Amino acid sequence: MTRPNIRMHSWNSSFSIHNSPFSVSMAVRLYLSNDTSARAAGAGLLADAWSDRPEAQLIRTSSRGAFFLEPMVERDSPDGRLAWFNVTPEDLPSILSGTGGTPVRSIPFLAQQTRFTFANFGETEPLALDEYQARGGLQGLEKALQMEPDAIIEELKISRVRGRGGAAFPVWNKWQVAQQTEADEKYVVANADEGDAGTYCDRMILEGDPFRLLEGMLICARAIGASRGYVYCRQEYPAAAVTLRAAIHEADEAEWLELDGEFFPIEVVEGAGSYVCGEETALLESLEGKRGVVRARPPYPAQSGLFGRPTIVSNVLTFATIPQILSRGGAWHAALGTEQSRGTMALQLGGRVKQPGLVEVPFGLSLRQVLDQFGGGMAPGARFKAVQVGGPLGSLFPASQLDIPICYEAFAEAGAVLGHGGIVVYDHQTDMADLARHFMAFTAHESCGKCTPCRIGSVRGVEILERIQAGSGTVDDLLLLEDLGETMKVASLCALGGRAPYPVLTAIEHFPAEFRNRLGQ
Amino acid sequence: MSIPMHEQVKGILQQVQSEPPNILQALLVLQEKLGHVPLEAVPEIAHTLGTTTAQVAGVLSYYPDLRVTAPGRHLIRICMGESCFANGCGRLLRALQDCLRIDVGETAAGGKFTLDAMSCAGNCAVAPTMIIDRDLYGRVLPQQIEVLLERYK
Repeated sequence: MTRPNIRMHSWNSSFSIHNSPFSVSMAVRLYLSNDTSARAAGAGLLADAWSDRPEAQLIRTSSRGAFFLEPMVERDSPDGRLAWFNVTPEDLPSILSGTGGTPVRSIPFLAQQTRFTFANFGETEPLALDEYQARGGLQGLEKALQMEPDAIIEELKISRVRGRGGAAFPVWNKWQVAQQTEADEKYVVANADEGDAGTYCDRMILEGDPFRLLEGMLICARAIGASRGYVYCRQEYPAAAVTLRAAIHEADEAEWLELDGEFFPIEVVEGAGSYVCGEETALLESLEGKRGVVRARPPYPAQSGLFGRPTIVSNVLTFATIPQILSRGGAWHAALGTEQSRGTMALQLGGRVKQPGLVEVPFGLSLRQVLDQFGGGMAPGARFKAVQVGGPLGSLFPASQLDIPICYEAFAEAGAVLGHGGIVVYDHQTDMADLARHFMAFTAHESCGKCTPCRIGSVRGVEILERIQAGSGTVDDLLLLEDLGETMKVASLCALGGRAPYPVLTAIEHFPAEFRNRLGQ
Repeated sequence: MSIPMHEQVKGILQQVQSEPPNILQALLVLQEKLGHVPLEAVPEIAHTLGTTTAQVAGVLSYYPDLRVTAPGRHLIRICMGESCFANGCGRLLRALQDCLRIDVGETAAGGKFTLDAMSCAGNCAVAPTMIIDRDLYGRVLPQQIEVLLERYK
């Protein structure tokens, strides 16, 4: 492989050493995240306020994902990075004088995590290829380029990695099908349509460590013999698309966007607000420019996908997990996690927890541990009512069921899904009937319309729940809702209709009084 | 003198031709340039792309982000995702409706603001979220709305 041409980079920072009229020794290097959520928390405000302060040289990094501490400012020290939390513009003097900082390595939220896929977060500039390489980047690709495609797939089989987007299908199996299917062209598609409410780890990767995604896609292309890649990025992530396009440009300039001496083009294509386009076959339809309607399977995309060619569609987090499986070996990955869920999972805490943010840990911790240890308990003034795992189609868990281990097998046994790792906590003020209606209305709004159970069932579900909310529902309505839910579960074409009843039915199961007390005569 | 709509449409689409035509991307480019995709332009779009009006109308009506009417000068979107729901996006939305005196999907008198709801902005750890044009605000309180809106002219 050609070694990339390493150059200094200062994409996100207008305060690079080269541009500064002041000597390097005068300016203190301060690290400030450029992640969308960090900016929403006030990082952009700090950058604006300090733009005319030559004594501060701002380096815009990715975010560590400890969003409850953002905006967070860091600087180097003999003890590693020191951090200041929830910073306001007026805090600059104390940061510059070095007073009051906390060593990053002693922040419990971060210190208790096992970071592999997110190891670079908060440390590097997203588009600094030299930093990516200095921290082990491109080693997986280099290894893959020296291996036969069969050996790459074998390594994934040993790793026992499963797709992180929600379906949790064994990655090696999918890749093998695509590899063995004869075709004039094959494609690799990264699913960056992270539509599950409560999830944001793909957005963080796209914005914060985009080369990792590209590396994973190239390894996949090498294994299956693909000649072109696409990233289907949701319209709601404008910063992600900009960063990713810049990263593709960088990778191209550095000449590692190639396989067997041939250029491997990767194109970023933006969606238009449809949730169901996160389902792999709807995504392919949308990528072809059509209505994002689900296709009946089989054939699976690995056999017949984009434009009828074998296509691997995988989630961003899945691709980002691949490089280290190659560089560290499949056995390393298989040693982490539980029997059926190997490796680490990126959990995304949100809702009414005290410490919302990204948590990468091996599979197997209990839901309670995650909420207590990382979530830090409830937000001030909030009392726990329920937690939802797995996005808008995920089940609700009451306080009595928090000992469930976070892994695919335990969730499958409980009739729940881990999905894409979103965890949203609801407090005592949540009206469960209103929440149930909110879920069903979401499905009614997002249903692609292809299959009847989802298209009509979701609308009927909303009608029943609105009747209950209005006080005119009956006991029969609750039975009807259950019957409707069972039909949607078994008869829908994809997970949207098939999973939509779960949050609604688990809300009724665990909080029956909130529904029964509202029924009319 | 303004260029007729069909000429504008043709001009824009000629820059994004692909084989086979990608209807969604063509419509997104049109919306980017024109602010919306006028329904009366559908036949011209179909003709230029070499497809049918039914195909174009189908795609146009399918995607929530494609608009057939011009939005206000500024587009406000409130995230209705679960984390925002848990953190009071309902109160935020009601406050905005009261402040602007419009419902979701409507444009305020004078054409300054259009109000919309969206399903998730991926800003769940800094909820609730409000997006105005391309500016994303997190941890928004209903009482901050008036000050925030004043930034937009």
